[in-house]
Amino acid sequence: MWSKVLTGFGYWDVYAWLSFFLVGGGMVCLIRSLGRTDYKEGTDQDEIFFGSNPVPEDGEDLKVPASSAYWGYTQALKPFYEGLVGLHTGMATDYVGWYILVTALVALLVLV
Amino acid sequence: MKMTRVLEILPKSLWVFHCNSGSCNGCDIEIVATITPRYDIERFGMKLVGSPRHADALLVTGPVTKYMTERLKRIYAQVPDPKVVIVVGNCGASGDVFYKSYSLDGPVDNIIPVDVYVHGCPPRPEAIIEGAAKAVLLLEKKREELLKAGASR
Repeated sequence: MWSKVLTGFGYWDVYAWLSFFLVGGGMVCLIRSLGRTDYKEGTDQDEIFFGSNPVPEDGEDLKVPASSAYWGYTQALKPFYEGLVGLHTGMATDYVGWYILVTALVALLVLV
Repeated sequence: MKMTRVLEILPKSLWVFHCNSGSCNGCDIEIVATITPRYDIERFGMKLVGSPRHADALLVTGPVTKYMTERLKRIYAQVPDPKVVIVVGNCGASGDVFYKSYSLDGPVDNIIPVDVYVHGCPPRPEAIIEGAAKAVLLLEKKREELLKAGASR
C-alpha cells in the first residue's frame, strides 16, 4: 500500500524510485571502477587541476564575486562615482552645508 | 584500472594537453587546424583534453615566460606516466627571436624534459601531425619499458 503515495498532483512509486537510484548508483560505481588508478598518490598527479595555478587553501579564494558581473559598468562610470563618493565625507556639517546650498539655489530659481 | 590493462587498451590513442607558455598564438592556430576537417587528427583517436590528468602527451607552445615557469612544471607533474612532451614551434624549441628576452626562463627544455621538437614559425599542421606520430612511437616505447619493469598498477 505504501508503495504509491498520493501527492495531490498524482502519485509516485517508491519502488520505481528505489530501483532508479539503485541502477543509477550501479552505473556510477561502474564508471568509477573504469577510471585510471595508475597515477602516483601524494604527488601533483593526485592534485586538482586548477588551471595550472596552485589550488587555494581557502575556499573563499575560489569564488567569483557577484560584483564582477557588472565590473565594466562601474569602470565606465568611475568618474561619476568617484565624484559622488568624494562628496560623502561622513560629516553632518558638510551634509547640512550642501542642504542649505541646494535649498538656496532652488529658492533662487523658483523665487527670482 | 590496472596499468597493464591501460597499456593493452590504449596502445595508440594519444590524448594531448596543450599548454601555451607565452606563444603569439600562431602555433596554437596551427594546432587548431590539425583538428579541423581538412586534417582531422581526431580520426586517429588523438584529441585535445582539458586536464593534464587525462593526457598522455603534453604539447607546449611558446618560449616559456617567467610567469609560466611554475605553471608549466605543475602541468608536467600532473600528467600521469608514461608521458611525452611535444614542443611545437621555434619559440619553444630555442626561444627564436625572443631568446635573449629578459622575461623568459625558456626555451621549454630548460624547464621540463622534451621528447619531440616540431620546428617552424608556425609549423604546418602536417609537421605537427608528424611530431604527434613520433610521440606515439616514443610513448609506446615508454609503455613497453614500464611493462618490462613490471608495472603492476
